[in-house]
Amino acid sequence: MPNPYIPILTSVKNIVSENEVNDIKTLELVFKKEEDYKGFNYIPGQFAEISLIGKGECPIGIASSPTEEGSIKFTIKKMGTVTTGFHNCDLGDIVGVRGPLGNGWPIEEMKGKNIVIIGGGFAFSTLRSLVIYLLDKRYRKNYKDITVIYGNRDSGEVLYRDILEEWEKRDDIKVVLTIDREEEGWTREVGFVAAIVKKVAPSPNNAMAVVCGPPIMIRTAVAELVNLGWKDEQILNSLEMRMKCGIGKCGRCNIGNKFVCIDGPVFSLAELKKLPNEY
Amino acid sequence: MKNEIGKLYIELGEEYNFFAPIKEKGNLVFKKILNPDDIILDYFNSKVPPKEILFPKTEVLFEYKTDGKEVTEIIERKDLEEKNIIFGIRPCDAHAFVLMENFFAFGDYQDEIFLKKRENSIIIGVGCNNPKSTCFCTSVEGHPFQKDDMDIFLVDLGEKYLVEAISEKGKNLMNKMPWLKNATKKDVQKAAELSKQAEESIVTKLDLKDIEKVLDPNFDHPIWREVSEICIGCGTCSFLCPTCTCFDVIDDNDQYNNRGRRIRIWDTCQFCLYSLHTSGHNPRDSCIERCRNRILHKFCYYPENYNTLGCVGCGRCIQLCPVNNDLRSIIEKIKKIDIKKEEKISA
Repeated sequence: MPNPYIPILTSVKNIVSENEVNDIKTLELVFKKEEDYKGFNYIPGQFAEISLIGKGECPIGIASSPTEEGSIKFTIKKMGTVTTGFHNCDLGDIVGVRGPLGNGWPIEEMKGKNIVIIGGGFAFSTLRSLVIYLLDKRYRKNYKDITVIYGNRDSGEVLYRDILEEWEKRDDIKVVLTIDREEEGWTREVGFVAAIVKKVAPSPNNAMAVVCGPPIMIRTAVAELVNLGWKDEQILNSLEMRMKCGIGKCGRCNIGNKFVCIDGPVFSLAELKKLPNEY
Repeated sequence: MKNEIGKLYIELGEEYNFFAPIKEKGNLVFKKILNPDDIILDYFNSKVPPKEILFPKTEVLFEYKTDGKEVTEIIERKDLEEKNIIFGIRPCDAHAFVLMENFFAFGDYQDEIFLKKRENSIIIGVGCNNPKSTCFCTSVEGHPFQKDDMDIFLVDLGEKYLVEAISEKGKNLMNKMPWLKNATKKDVQKAAELSKQAEESIVTKLDLKDIEKVLDPNFDHPIWREVSEICIGCGTCSFLCPTCTCFDVIDDNDQYNNRGRRIRIWDTCQFCLYSLHTSGHNPRDSCIERCRNRILHKFCYYPENYNTLGCVGCGRCIQLCPVNNDLRSIIEKIKKIDIKKEEKISA
């Protein structure tokens, strides 16, 4: 049995600045060894502990989809020592990766259903992974209608603009983009995510919804879904929690008797209601 | 074999790291010994539990070398195969090793670092002749003479030990002690008397059966405010708890020598930073939530997840709490919640 704290070594292949204020970047990583990449089998919604050896380690959701072969991507907001280190990375720099970790989105359970994806702000990275996976030509037929509602404070904060525009052009996915206040040149929706959910009014029939974003957005958007007749079992959330080990040993990410790192990060609203309100 | 501890060390000290109780700065500690004369045989227990033998306060997860900028080599621990003898620990602390082992082995990921060391350790424990007033092992499925969790079990008969091999490991080790004499009927009888006396001397009796069923529905009960009021959040209770295993992970980088280590350090849910998110949000942002988490972890989440209590009744958290926040009275208060609730239901 290997030491679970040893990271796999990767190197930075590409760096993309994702927003106008330049505090969110996507790092594309390639594995140093082919067998390490082959062993890194993940599904959308999982995360990894990524580290700059010498600075530290942090848990970040995997932004790439397993269908984007050859590399993995992480979208990182500049917050503390480690994430600032990632922002200062150059091409070729070495990044340690432990993962994939966590349960991920239930892509099997989602089969045969209409999928509604609701995201707010920076929390769109594992949703990017999910949508790219669902749209892959090998898997698209397994899922019915796909609706994406993605909101941001202003147009400068919209992540993954190129790929969103591609999705908008397709006829097998409905993409609704919104910003909080009107802006010159913005031709899409204006208003909070919850208001747009109300307007789009996705049907709960044979459907599952995935909701990711800041707590206030989650609360209001979920309330709208419930108004539309959605059941708690149909609504999925991905939780964030302070973590160190990512493998259920360091202790800190517990909510009641569950660990977010190994029992989550994806929980249905029905599961969350059974847990103490401590997250 | 009381006079023969020296012999035991000479016999085994080469092959094994020999951990035993010694005095250090006035405190009894379990440390790797170099001189058998340092071993203390007359003691109650250590302040810092012997968990630190297999789960030290700071511990290397791996080391690395760099070329000044980038990591060039990751070096795994090579000392995990070393063999250890852990001599003189009490039944409560031996049971704590079992809980730790189960926890670190639980689920899809195994903590290889702890488990390897545990596998390579032999525990020679001693029954507890004189439990203190803070002890309550008999309330948590333990006993001052509980021997199941050890490899060799000793009973202190005064001038000598009664020695009993419990596990295969223990039996094999006993073959290396040819100087042991057969125990007499009288010795065995005396050991049984000591065991009975020790059990009877434990005054604290807590009824912890189905405690999780009381705790689980009372997560938001006002009792948590009450029991946390005097807590100063120092973390002593959990740092000195033999079953607490939480840790932090940091990189200890030595940039001048192009090397470093990723280490883990004991951490505790009693600290604000433990659960503070990067965003500034903290799910346990006051003493109330943090006190509650410690109690629930041991007496609710542990039984729910692993079907056993997460407490061994050693009493350290009671003895060493600077504000006398007594776990026993917290449990008593919690038990009363249930009575009140039942009254309500019947009324």
